[in-house]
Amino acid sequence: MAFLARFFGPRLPRDPDLARRLEAWLALPEANVKDALRASRYVVVDVETTGLDLGRDRLIAIGACAVENGQAVLADSFEIVLRQDKVSSKDNILIHGIGGEAQREGVEPVEALVGFLEFLGKSPLVAFHVTFDQTMIKRAVKEYLGFEFKHPWLDLAYVMPGLMPEYARRYRALDDWSGHFRIGNFARHSALADALATAQLLLCALPLAEAKRSRHYADLMDLEKAQRWVSWSG
Amino acid sequence: MASPNSLLAATADHLARFAPFDSMAREHLLWLAERLKLAYYGKDEVLLAPDQGEIKRFYIIKQGAVQVQQAGTDDAWLELHEGEVFPLGALLGGRQAISTFKAITDVFTYELEVEDFHALFRLSPAFQDFSTRRIATLLERSQRSVQARYAATTAEQQSLRSPLSSIARRKPVTCRPGTPLKEALETIRDNRISAIVVVEDGDQPVGVFSVRDLIGRVILPGTDLATPMAQVMTPNPMSLPSTAHAFEAAMLMARHGFRHVLVADGGRLTGVISEKDLFSLQRVGVTQISAAIRAATGQEALVRAAEDIRQLGHNMMAQGVAAEQLTQILSTLNDILTRRIIELECAARDECRVAYCWLAFGSEGRLEQTLSTDQDNGLIFLVPEGETAESVRAVLLPLAERINRVLDACGFPLCKGEIMAMNPKWCLSLEEWKTVFSRWIDAGDPESLLNASIFFDFRPLLGQENLAEDLQGWLLAKTTATPRFLHQMAANALRNRPPLGVVRDFATDGEGDLANTLDLKLNGTTPFVDAARVFALASGVPATGTAARLRGAAAKMNIPTAEVEAWLSSFYFIQMLRLHGQHEEMQAGKPMDNRINPDELNDLDRRILKESFRQARKVQARLALDYKI
Repeated sequence: MAFLARFFGPRLPRDPDLARRLEAWLALPEANVKDALRASRYVVVDVETTGLDLGRDRLIAIGACAVENGQAVLADSFEIVLRQDKVSSKDNILIHGIGGEAQREGVEPVEALVGFLEFLGKSPLVAFHVTFDQTMIKRAVKEYLGFEFKHPWLDLAYVMPGLMPEYARRYRALDDWSGHFRIGNFARHSALADALATAQLLLCALPLAEAKRSRHYADLMDLEKAQRWVSWSG
Repeated sequence: MASPNSLLAATADHLARFAPFDSMAREHLLWLAERLKLAYYGKDEVLLAPDQGEIKRFYIIKQGAVQVQQAGTDDAWLELHEGEVFPLGALLGGRQAISTFKAITDVFTYELEVEDFHALFRLSPAFQDFSTRRIATLLERSQRSVQARYAATTAEQQSLRSPLSSIARRKPVTCRPGTPLKEALETIRDNRISAIVVVEDGDQPVGVFSVRDLIGRVILPGTDLATPMAQVMTPNPMSLPSTAHAFEAAMLMARHGFRHVLVADGGRLTGVISEKDLFSLQRVGVTQISAAIRAATGQEALVRAAEDIRQLGHNMMAQGVAAEQLTQILSTLNDILTRRIIELECAARDECRVAYCWLAFGSEGRLEQTLSTDQDNGLIFLVPEGETAESVRAVLLPLAERINRVLDACGFPLCKGEIMAMNPKWCLSLEEWKTVFSRWIDAGDPESLLNASIFFDFRPLLGQENLAEDLQGWLLAKTTATPRFLHQMAANALRNRPPLGVVRDFATDGEGDLANTLDLKLNGTTPFVDAARVFALASGVPATGTAARLRGAAAKMNIPTAEVEAWLSSFYFIQMLRLHGQHEEMQAGKPMDNRINPDELNDLDRRILKESFRQARKVQARLALDYKI
């Protein structure tokens, strides 16, 4: 079966240290999405890319912040810039502010992704407009680490309207919800700053979820699914 | 951690916008940021309450407003905002919270575990300092920021708060008592100085001779140039230690009309300060003004001097001179001006043969005058044998009226309540004053209490000061023996509460143009002034100034020094805001009052003002406790 693993399983990094770290991550037990909301660790993530084309654009930076026991733990946060062989366009740089030099001097993508996975552990992920972050991270993991990154994701862009239906039609973007709760952002379009703003939105969501008898992450995933249906059917 | 990630760095940056984090070392801020957790509380959610027992966390508000309610009541007495921290007292004292902290908007807080709070306390001196001396630290910062605000205009000006040792740079030029006059004059010429100090063995100063003494003591009398200095010098010169502040030298010069003050430590001469040294860069100096007043022979010069006094007040304000010194200097100069006015009006008139004393009441009596102040004065006199109080009064009233009118012309408006010496009600013999005071003390009705709060702050300005001292001694004997009166005074003082807001930070009360303003005098300084009066009258402290009264009474009443100093810091902070408001009103050509809009203060000042009002509450709490009100 070794040849099968070579085709479908992870392509272990050549660096033995990185290989060992990736194996350790793979061996971690999966998170239980039915643990109580305020007794779990979630990782809120945001990415910066070379553009908005899900098929062609590349991952430049990952920012992430952990929410544990109902509080955002500032030190339990992560940010990394992936080294780019080809620097992104000037317009793109103006959005996230990661300049050409910083892109060229970023961390080797393999090492950066292993670092992210280690930070993540098997904690469920949370993001705002998951499709984008998820696609970018999945593609990068596939390209550099050679496996399908399958992980629980929760999308606050659907959870929030589900929890506060009265605002569902008015609020679309992260900025709309941030504005509602007056959540500041120390550097908009920096991956970590946006991740923190999203994490604060998650903090706001928790008491609302509890009020609606959502007990755990899985309940919120159901809520998200229902809301996607509502949004889709208009 | 090698270099902090952008989130920790941004958190440290955010905290650094607020005291005390703004004065903490960067590494300590990052240490703190690494240990913070961010929590969210929805509107009306309770963050902390007494029944939660021992405090587990230290809270820093990241965003939103938290209302503080006293236990067991629905009375909110305080609102906390971004950058403010709680509960310091409970954490340091290791006890449960006294108040309930409730979110009144969506609130995000940074929270630090109690162990980390104590570790930070040990780690960061700035944080420790803030936590233990919260009020004092804030005050210092504010004073510095006032100075910084005016730094552009006053950069070269010497601060009146610098010690004399930093000003007296020149080595003093001296001679011996036996030195012949000629030799001393040659020394003066060769050194291009304006005065020489006469010293005995061991540099002990015994006299001063200045070139201004030449005309009166040498040239006109035709003094022999061989005369020893001991015979022409001004003996017994006044000196200050080198640790004294420049403003003390300025005061000494102003009071006595000197142009030089000696600096001596342990009886040994170490320097000479001339008024030039003090005010070389200042347009109008304390000594120039006092000299001009002393030399004035008519109303015109006095009016000009009064304008200079106000200008000086504004200049010193701009220099960041502390309120305590500023109000003292203003009062001292106003005293000198008033004395000169009385002297001029008395000159060559027989009405002044009567033994009388001019009295100052109210803020002037307390040496707490601000930039805008009206008259509060009166007369006390002795009735010579064979005359009646009526007949003496008839002689003094015209004099008093002239003095009041000149003071009015000098910018001290006539008192609306007619508390002036020209009012026959307040031009009284010693016996009559005692009768009036007795009546107030025994009656204790609202009007008597109001009068007591003005008149019992009396201070002699010019004349037979022993009359005032007699009255003072008699008054203290009477008040200390009349607890019922003190109780009424205390109850009256407690009617005036510091304006801490229920919904907002402050309770404002003005209307129209004055909407959203509060009265810093009535609601700010008055609680301190009133409490100090009651304490002083109860414990027999003869001082009239609020600071001197509180310090004097504290010793007798076993109030800890730190507590009194915190009260006084707050009192002077509010005084400074008053002066500051008046200063800006004058610059803008508006009439001066005591009202400010707290929203227009900077963050730091607003927080200190809040803390100062809290201190006012503490003074009142002490008063209430003492008199069981």
